[in-house]
Amino acid sequence: MPASGPSWPPLSVLRGWSTMTDHRRTLILTAVLAGLIVVSTVAAPMVSARPAHEIPVSEVSTADLAEPSADGWAEVPASDVPLSSAPSSVPNADDTSIETVDVQAVRTDERLYVRLEWHDATRDMNASATREFADAVAVQFPANTSSRPPIAMGGPDNRVNVWYWSGSTGTQELLAGGAGSTTPFENPTVQANASHSGTGGNATWTVVYSRQLDAPSENRTDLRTDGDLDVAFAVWNGSNGERSGQKAVSEWHYYPFSGGPQGPPYETLLWTLAGIAIVAVVGVTSFGIYRTRGAE
Amino acid sequence: MSTDQQDDQGEEDTLVNVADGVDHQVAMVMDLNKCIGCQTCTIACKNLWTEDGGSEYMYWNNVETKPGEGYPRGWEDSGGGWESSEHSDRSPGEIPDEEDYGRAWEFNHEEIMYEGSDEPLRPREGAEWGPNWDEDQGAGEYPNSYYFYLPRICNHCTHPSCVEACPRSALYKRQEDGIVLVDQDRCRGYRYCVEGCPYKKVYYNTVSKKSEKCIFCYPRIEGEGPDGETFAPACAEECPPQLRLVGFLDDEEGPIHKLVNEYEVALPLHPEFRTQPNVYYIPPFAPGQHTEDGETVDIDRIPRQYLRNLFGDGVDEALDTIDAHRQRVRQGGDSELMELLQDKNPAKQYRLEVFDDE
Repeated sequence: MPASGPSWPPLSVLRGWSTMTDHRRTLILTAVLAGLIVVSTVAAPMVSARPAHEIPVSEVSTADLAEPSADGWAEVPASDVPLSSAPSSVPNADDTSIETVDVQAVRTDERLYVRLEWHDATRDMNASATREFADAVAVQFPANTSSRPPIAMGGPDNRVNVWYWSGSTGTQELLAGGAGSTTPFENPTVQANASHSGTGGNATWTVVYSRQLDAPSENRTDLRTDGDLDVAFAVWNGSNGERSGQKAVSEWHYYPFSGGPQGPPYETLLWTLAGIAIVAVVGVTSFGIYRTRGAE
Repeated sequence: MSTDQQDDQGEEDTLVNVADGVDHQVAMVMDLNKCIGCQTCTIACKNLWTEDGGSEYMYWNNVETKPGEGYPRGWEDSGGGWESSEHSDRSPGEIPDEEDYGRAWEFNHEEIMYEGSDEPLRPREGAEWGPNWDEDQGAGEYPNSYYFYLPRICNHCTHPSCVEACPRSALYKRQEDGIVLVDQDRCRGYRYCVEGCPYKKVYYNTVSKKSEKCIFCYPRIEGEGPDGETFAPACAEECPPQLRLVGFLDDEEGPIHKLVNEYEVALPLHPEFRTQPNVYYIPPFAPGQHTEDGETVDIDRIPRQYLRNLFGDGVDEALDTIDAHRQRVRQGGDSELMELLQDKNPAKQYRLEVFDDE
C-alpha cells in the first residue's frame, strides 16, 4: 500500500465492495454517490428550511388583503413565530399567556400587508372598568432600516416604529426610543382590521395591518427597502392583566425583501465547509481505490 | 428631619426634608378633632374636578368613618408603597374593582316624578356598597362605641410609589412645590400607579382611559382664577369647621412646620407605607370610657393601639403633648400650640405665597 493511501474505515469498506466489481464502474458509482451527498448537503437546508428568523413575504403587484378573511390570504405562506415574556421591570412581567403568533406578509407595489393570527379564548375589547384590560397586538420595525435597534422598544439613537392595535384604543402608530418612551403619532398612517372567531381553545384573533410602502414622514419605516427588513411582534392578553411590559414578544425576525434565501453568514459558511470536506473525502477515497486497483 | 441635608448644603438650608429635585413642598395639616363628617370638602372637590364621564366613581377627596372599610373598601390592605426605607423595592399592590369604590347608583326618579309611583325614592338595584357606606358605624359597644372621621386626599408624598410604579414616567413630582401629577399626554392607562399607591388615591378614568388624581388644586394656588388671586385647595377653603391648614412644609415660620416638626403633633397616615406623606393629621381625642352607671373613667375610648396602627408610634407623644398644652391653658397659661390649633385667621391658615418672590 502506498504511503499516501488513506487507511480510514470507509476506504476498506469501499475497497472490499469494489474488488467484486469492475474497476471503471466503481469509480463512476463512487463519483455519483459523492455528487449526491454534496448536492443534498448543500441544497437541502436552502430548499426545505428557511433561515430560522426569516418570515416569507409574497410579492405581488396588487392585492385586496385588508380584511382578515380576504380570500387571498389562503395562498400566502405563514410562519409560526414563538413568543415569550418580555424582560421588563413591571409587576408580573413573567406572567404572559400567548405562546405563538402566525405571521403572513404580502408586499404589493404600493402597500405592505401583515396578517397576525393567535389563539385567545377571550375577546377582550374594553378597558372600561378599573380592572379591565383589552387584547392588543403590535408589529415593530426599525424606524431607520440601516441598523437593528435594541429589541425592547429600540434605543435613544436607534428608534423603532410600532404598529399597535388594541380592542379598546383601535389602531395607533407609535415611535419609541427605549422602554417607557413610546409616543403615538398624531395622524396614524397604518390601517388595521381585526376579527375574533371561534370559541374556547379554538378562538382566534386575526389582525391585518397595512401601510403604504413609502415612509409617510420622518421616523416612519421605509417599506420600499430592498434589503432585509427587521420585524418583531408582541401580543397582550387583556383578561390576564397584560399591558405595557407584561407582554409576549418575539425576537427580531426579518422580511427578506432582498429576494432569494439568505441565512445568517455562519450558516452558509458551515455548509460550505461541510461540502468541501465531503468532496475531499470522496476524492481522496476514489484516488486511493484507483491507486490500489492500479497496483494489483 | 434630615441632618444630612444640613451637612451637605450648609447652615442656610432648611431643616425640612423635601424630595430630591423639589424646591418647596406643599403640605396640609388636618385636625381630626374638628371634622364633622359633612362631606362639604368631598363635594367641593367633586364639583371642581370629577364631574365628567369616566370619573363618576372618583372622590379625589373623600371622608371616611374610622374604624371602617374606607374608600375604596379595604384600601389599607390593598398593597403598594415601599418594602423598606431605602425606597428601592416597591410592594406589589392591587387595583380595586368597581364594587370596592362603589358604583354610581341609579334612582327611581323617573317613576316617582313622571309616572306617579308611590314608591319611596331609592336606588333601583345593586346598592350594596358605596363610598361612606359604613358612615358612623365605627366600633365598640354601647356605651363605649366610638368613631371619628378621616378626610383623605392625595398625600403628595416625598417618596411617591405611584411615580416609581409608572413605566412611562407619566407621573411626576413637580419641581416648584412637590405636587404629584399625572401627565395626561404620557399616560397610557396601564394603572400601575393605581395599584402602586398604598392610599389608593390614583384613579383610572374609564372614559379617557387614563389615570387621574388630586392635583392639590394647583390652578387655585397659582392664582389662575378669574381674579388672579391665590386660593387654597377647594377642600380646605370650603370646609365649614376650617380644619385644614395649607402651606409649605419647609416654610419654617408657618403653622405646618411648627405642628409637624417642632411640636410633632401632626402625623402622617400609615407611615409604615414609607412614602412619606405631606398631609398630616392631628390625632383625634375622645371622652374617656363610661361605666354602665354613666360614670366617666380614665380609659381611652378610642383604643390607643388603633391610633398607633393609623398614625404610627408617634401618636402617643403627640396626644400627650396636646394634653399637656390644654392643661396649661386651662390653668391660665399660654400655649403657642393651642393658638395654632385654634387660629381662625385665614392669612395664617393658608400660607401659599411665602416663596413667591424666589
